[in-house]
Amino acid sequence: MRISIERTGGFAGIKQTNSVSTDQLPPEESKKVAALVEAAGFSALPPVIRSTEPGGDQFQYKVTVEGDHGSHTVQVDEAAVPPSLQPVLNWVKNSTRT
Amino acid sequence: MKPQATAICSILPPHIVRKLSDKPEMRDRVLRDLATTERLRGIRQAFTMSLLPSQPGTKHRTIFDGQKTMSLPGTQVRDEGGAPIADVAVNEAYDYCGDTYDFYSKVFNRNSVDDHGLTLKSTVHYGDGYDNALWNGQQMIYGDGDGQYFQRFTICLDVIGHELTHGVTQNEAQLVYSGQSGALNESISDVFGSLIKQWANNQTVDQADWLIGAGIFTDAVQGKAIRSMSAPGTAYSDPNIGDDPQPAAMSAYVNTTDDNGGVHINSGIPNRAFFLAAKAIGGYAWQKAGLIWYRTLNGSLNPNADFQTMANATTTVAGSLFGQNSAEQKAVSDAWNTVGVAPTASQFTALSAQAKPGQQKAATTGD
Repeated sequence: MRISIERTGGFAGIKQTNSVSTDQLPPEESKKVAALVEAAGFSALPPVIRSTEPGGDQFQYKVTVEGDHGSHTVQVDEAAVPPSLQPVLNWVKNSTRT
Repeated sequence: MKPQATAICSILPPHIVRKLSDKPEMRDRVLRDLATTERLRGIRQAFTMSLLPSQPGTKHRTIFDGQKTMSLPGTQVRDEGGAPIADVAVNEAYDYCGDTYDFYSKVFNRNSVDDHGLTLKSTVHYGDGYDNALWNGQQMIYGDGDGQYFQRFTICLDVIGHELTHGVTQNEAQLVYSGQSGALNESISDVFGSLIKQWANNQTVDQADWLIGAGIFTDAVQGKAIRSMSAPGTAYSDPNIGDDPQPAAMSAYVNTTDDNGGVHINSGIPNRAFFLAAKAIGGYAWQKAGLIWYRTLNGSLNPNADFQTMANATTTVAGSLFGQNSAEQKAVSDAWNTVGVAPTASQFTALSAQAKPGQQKAATTGD
């Protein structure tokens, strides 16, 4: 399974991409990530989730999960990230922090 | 409003009060004294208040500490009139928010983002290493930056001005935050963010640096600012962050699904138009160019306005304020032509066809 997250927008409008392949992880970590993706109901999430807040300068995330069952991409505004998806974002961010 | 049935008594006989209140310089003082007297006597709605001119706008700032969490608003740490505390981000948010309020109040007679004295709330230390600042429709939010590429986001006055201006736009044109209307929304925040910085530093168009977020990057980044209004696309070029993606003209408009259709990217085009118009007009940018843009925002744009609409509207407004074929209108029209969005306002073109040199009406400059 490969999880890729493209973050765009924000005040600076700078694109940041992080990508993790579970093949390169210890088996325990790999299972944990798969469980997070499952708990998020990722494959059933709509392709676009917009925030209804009028605001400005929030981030946009494009989350792609590629696995044995194919590939699915969800574009979501920062303020509209479903609570169950947030742990997936956090995990990718923490695992790719230098 | 009818006077109360109860008599209004004061030490001064009515005929003297009446005479005094006819003198403009005394009128306010007399009426306020009467209003105070009425209040002391327990009269709930002092009728003299109805005779007073409406109160000038009042600034009310409240700063909250997010304490590295993402819950809002956080803990209140400073309120209007309160002394600085030992937290530089709190004090920066307070001071720069004050400068922004003062700019809108003194330059455009606007009382806070909603023109009705809305309390300006800011949360600092939002999130852990959060490299962003935003307006969420009700308040400002500032991260501390990751410390690697970004400093804390309260460090720049124009960033705070940019965020608050989203609140102004929300109360005026309500430009939809995607595609060209979103890029206009972004540009307007950069324009007024920059004007606030220029005003606070008393800079003319030639003295201004026309950069947005100069000082946000750490020394590790090869770049002078987040954006350049004078030269979009040149603000930074860094092996880790990337290159400034902004176009400087319509021919390089970026079609993308990123960033709500590139609202922070394509804002470079209207940003440059404003810069060119302001430079051509000269002097202090907020006085004429800023006025044209403010009046346009304040009544000539609908939420789906695109760049063409903005070019037409600013050109038309410039004509109304300064006269058809005035130097100011020409500066605006030339600027949009240069970035590849030729104004096509029927009003503008029809009048310019009729106008003869030397017969232009002198226009008022508004407030």
